[in-house]
Amino acid sequence: MSTSTEAGLPPGKTWKSKEEFLGCVILTDWILLVVLFAVLLGSFHIHYMLLAGDWDFWIDFKDRRMWPTVAPIVAMCFAAAAQAFFWTRFRLPIGATTVVLALLIGEWINRYDNFWGWTFFPINLVFPSALIPMGFWLDIVLMISGSWLVTALLGGLGWGLLFYPINWPALAQYHQAAEIDGVLLTLADLIGFNYVRTGTPEYIRMVERGTLRTFGKDVVPVAAFFSGFISMLVYFLWWKVGQWFSTTKYLELEEV
Amino acid sequence: MKSSIILKMAKRLTTRVACCWAIGLAAAVALTTLTASTPAVAHGERSQQAFLRMRTLNWYDVKWSKTELNVNDEMELTGKVHVFAGWPQAVARPGEAFLNVGEPGPVLIRKSAFVGDVPVPRTFSMDVGKDYEYKIVLKARRPGRFHVHVQINVKDGGPIVGPGQWITIKGDMKDFTNPVTLLDGSVIDLETYGIKWVYIYHFLWMAAAAAWILYWFMTKGIIVRYWQVKAGRAGELIGPNEKRIGAITLAGVLLAVLGFYAAANKEFPRTLPMQAGLLTGISPIDEPSPTVSVRFRGGSYTVPGRELHIKTTIVNNGKEPIRVGEFTTAGLRFLNPDVIPQRPDFPDYLLADRGLSVSDPSPIQPGETRNMEVIVQDARFDIERLSDLAYDTDSQFGGLLFFFDPSGGRQRVEIGGPVIPKFRSDVTL
Repeated sequence: MSTSTEAGLPPGKTWKSKEEFLGCVILTDWILLVVLFAVLLGSFHIHYMLLAGDWDFWIDFKDRRMWPTVAPIVAMCFAAAAQAFFWTRFRLPIGATTVVLALLIGEWINRYDNFWGWTFFPINLVFPSALIPMGFWLDIVLMISGSWLVTALLGGLGWGLLFYPINWPALAQYHQAAEIDGVLLTLADLIGFNYVRTGTPEYIRMVERGTLRTFGKDVVPVAAFFSGFISMLVYFLWWKVGQWFSTTKYLELEEV
Repeated sequence: MKSSIILKMAKRLTTRVACCWAIGLAAAVALTTLTASTPAVAHGERSQQAFLRMRTLNWYDVKWSKTELNVNDEMELTGKVHVFAGWPQAVARPGEAFLNVGEPGPVLIRKSAFVGDVPVPRTFSMDVGKDYEYKIVLKARRPGRFHVHVQINVKDGGPIVGPGQWITIKGDMKDFTNPVTLLDGSVIDLETYGIKWVYIYHFLWMAAAAAWILYWFMTKGIIVRYWQVKAGRAGELIGPNEKRIGAITLAGVLLAVLGFYAAANKEFPRTLPMQAGLLTGISPIDEPSPTVSVRFRGGSYTVPGRELHIKTTIVNNGKEPIRVGEFTTAGLRFLNPDVIPQRPDFPDYLLADRGLSVSDPSPIQPGETRNMEVIVQDARFDIERLSDLAYDTDSQFGGLLFFFDPSGGRQRVEIGGPVIPKFRSDVTL
């Protein structure tokens, strides 16, 4: 079975000892973890910045309707795909948690290094959306149910519903109000107004636009349910995308 | 066989990947953190098409109350803007606009902004053909020398940048404060408000996620799990015990979410949704109609000589003789030295104090109608890339002509129309 010709090895053996073999496996595990994490960080970050974009960049874009609708839906893509990979190939219940942690690490590097370090936007203008508990939810629903169908239905709905309550503890303080020159503004509005963004005029915000007025001021639950429903559909699709890419067939070279 | 392949690959990868990863990470960190950034010297206004800058918003009477400040000092950026009646068809009209500042990041913060006497922290509406007065109060935040413009963003039209001035800020950004009084009377410093809690909240969750990932990674890792799944023993990896751990973790997570949510509601019982909406009905500058009228009779632009020739018929219906003293367009001011001999305080790169002449310099008498050629000639026309007018799809110029009478009165008239570029065969430009 072995093809090794290295000197010093017992005949027919690839490793000198069991300890060396286990050491190699553990080291490769770590390398895999770090490489996978970096790949997911980069790819998910690009995906999320392109699709969530301003909704995630700025405090004054984080409204009660568009933000809790858009952000979870576009975040679901990589969470589902990563679950397909980690669960079907390794039975690891960490797919969603890993991608949202990777995304947040990437975002925080970006926000701190670029938005604050280079451009001096204060962190309270540019902190990202919190997503970690949603990752826990999705991973543990999959682990307990063992079913991607249940995870899509239950996990997807919870994914959308949890988003706003998870973010509220960081956001609430910026929804206190102040009167500026006779105009009522929340602190979130005021931060956006004070700290000049040359290319981000106020009119590109989409603050509670739309025709959904039946539920009065309680727009968050409606937006969250809608977000959860679409997240279910996105989960189905992206689980399949994840499975499609979870293969070693591209590495199965003859010489190896 | 499969496991053998993976074992061999693992062995090969061990040192090479680790080495590449370490070097790559070090390079990335060095590139993103150690590279010195250079200050931005302009905001790309020259790259905007000439017709866009000339025929949309005409800025005049722009003043920067200070050009040297210490951190925390305030200054005012004031002026007037004429919304060109011949607004180009290619650009959306300013039904939704936002008064902005062109600066390299929030080096000065915008404390307040007004159009007329209306505060405009939000989007507002402007009418073409009207003039509006604006005021922006800025507070110095970051030391350095920065080019600061007035700017109006027009929805579906983009940013339209006005004149810019170099502003020097001295001091230390650490001393900067941005006090704000809340509706309940308490005062906070918005510069740093809530940031510590945001860090704590985010990094607590991130630490929990890292712990979760590492827990599962440390129990059998990745490769061994792969072998077990391939061997059809996936069920052994997630048994009742693992599910119990998951359920307990999930319960803890949900309890924490509920707890944080309740604590936020308790600490901030009175919160409001973000405020947004279009401000309409802002009054333009209220002043009498000009007593002078100008009819455009044709124009040409001599490309090599940078000369804009404007043929006009001027009618003076006023009671005093008048003279053409200034032509302003795209933030540039071309002055007639016969009328304005004193150089005004204005950024040099935008001020051609001898850039305007007329074919007949004598005053236009009351009741007189005169055909006259106005000549705009200065290198700034080319430096600011207004010469590119010759290459626009809509080769029309636009701007404001200012007339002055002996008693110090000033009247402005919009002028614009098509110009014919004139090239010379022996000169390439």
